[in-house]
Amino acid sequence: MSEQAERTVPRPVRYAGFLIVFLILAAPLSAADDFDVLRQNASAIRTIQADFTQKKIMKILSKPLVSEGRFVFAAPDSVRWEYVRPLRSVVLSSQGQTRRYIAAGGKMVEDTSGGVKAMSIVLAEVAGWMSGRFDDNPSFTASVKDSAEETVVILTPVAEGLSRMMQRIDIVLLKRDATIRSVRIVENADAETLIDFTRVRINTELPPRVFQDVP
Amino acid sequence: MKKLALTAAVFFCLSCASLPKLGPAGGAFDCPSPFLTEKTRLIHAIEARVSGRVQSVIGVTLADPAHRSLSVAILTAEGLVVFEAESGPGGILVSRALPPFDAGDFARSMMSDIELIFFWPQGDLSIQGVDTQNRKTCRFEKTDGDFVDVIDAGEGTFVLRRYLSGGAKKRDLTIKNEEGRSYEKIHLQAFEGMNYSLSLTLLEAEAVSTKPARQQFQETIHEKSSQRP
Repeated sequence: MSEQAERTVPRPVRYAGFLIVFLILAAPLSAADDFDVLRQNASAIRTIQADFTQKKIMKILSKPLVSEGRFVFAAPDSVRWEYVRPLRSVVLSSQGQTRRYIAAGGKMVEDTSGGVKAMSIVLAEVAGWMSGRFDDNPSFTASVKDSAEETVVILTPVAEGLSRMMQRIDIVLLKRDATIRSVRIVENADAETLIDFTRVRINTELPPRVFQDVP
Repeated sequence: MKKLALTAAVFFCLSCASLPKLGPAGGAFDCPSPFLTEKTRLIHAIEARVSGRVQSVIGVTLADPAHRSLSVAILTAEGLVVFEAESGPGGILVSRALPPFDAGDFARSMMSDIELIFFWPQGDLSIQGVDTQNRKTCRFEKTDGDFVDVIDAGEGTFVLRRYLSGGAKKRDLTIKNEEGRSYEKIHLQAFEGMNYSLSLTLLEAEAVSTKPARQQFQETIHEKSSQRP
């Protein structure tokens, strides 16, 4: 068993846990037990691209429901969160504007429901995390556990509304290359979501329209 | 004034509606059946259109025709569960309903639609015949007073029509089976209150064993041991 260090500090998270991903991708850990390092590393990030596989586990399912997609970020606040299968959807956020598109009738259609507002709030929160502001919101407490090969950040909701939606979020980072390996959102004993990231690329050039167009 | 005229027209149409007549089929026949015969789990991509707006979600259904029980979950493309419910002879239990899926009668109406899609109509066979397109049709009178026509449209396609007891059409459903896959495509049009339509495309389907887990385990062990040399 490797040595583990743990500490608890207030954390800024308000909405769906899967978006924690943005935070971690934006701030690879070089010293996992020091949140100041997260802020320092975040300042060096200009762009991030990654593919992801999401596995949804529920009591009603005999095997996980698998979704695939890609994630793109450009500092300071541009995000593209895209699912390519089984159902295509794209959320674009840039310069304070958020739009969500969904596949319908063989084309991508803009979603004008209230869900867009929620996503807008979530992505604004994400932009804060990108800048390393992790302790503005007391809705979560965070524990950091270090082992020889990986770092696990455990976020536990303290707000009553949030704790009804999820029990905790585990974020696993590889120490070897300081990149995220997975995010696990435990909703309850019967339901959780696991997001695995692959092909993480940092500070590559991005076409500017990636945050505006939905081809 | 305009509203009054419209209301009167709607009332007139509803009150004068009657069930479509069925012609003689030239003998008795087995009723067409797209319905499930065993406990099945199905995952569909769903496009819902309401008042010109469209929304896409993923629907998971666990349907047991023997007990007429359903478990249903609706997820966004991003995997957020927005609705979860179970229904059976004991009623409906909603465990999660985020807006707009928490609206009024949504759960009851949706579970009723899902029952219509997957289970034999609960009631008696009222009449057999052919519709205006000469398609074999069985009409059931449901225990709640509604009528359901089950129509064999040929080439693995079935049409279901649900009517109020007075004859006003409530639902129009087309179910297409393709390449041996049941419920490959489903289109539902509702004519009740706010008109809406649902188009479902099958992503996955699997039969679910109803054997107790212990029995399944024993059988697996037995099967493995019998395969050993």
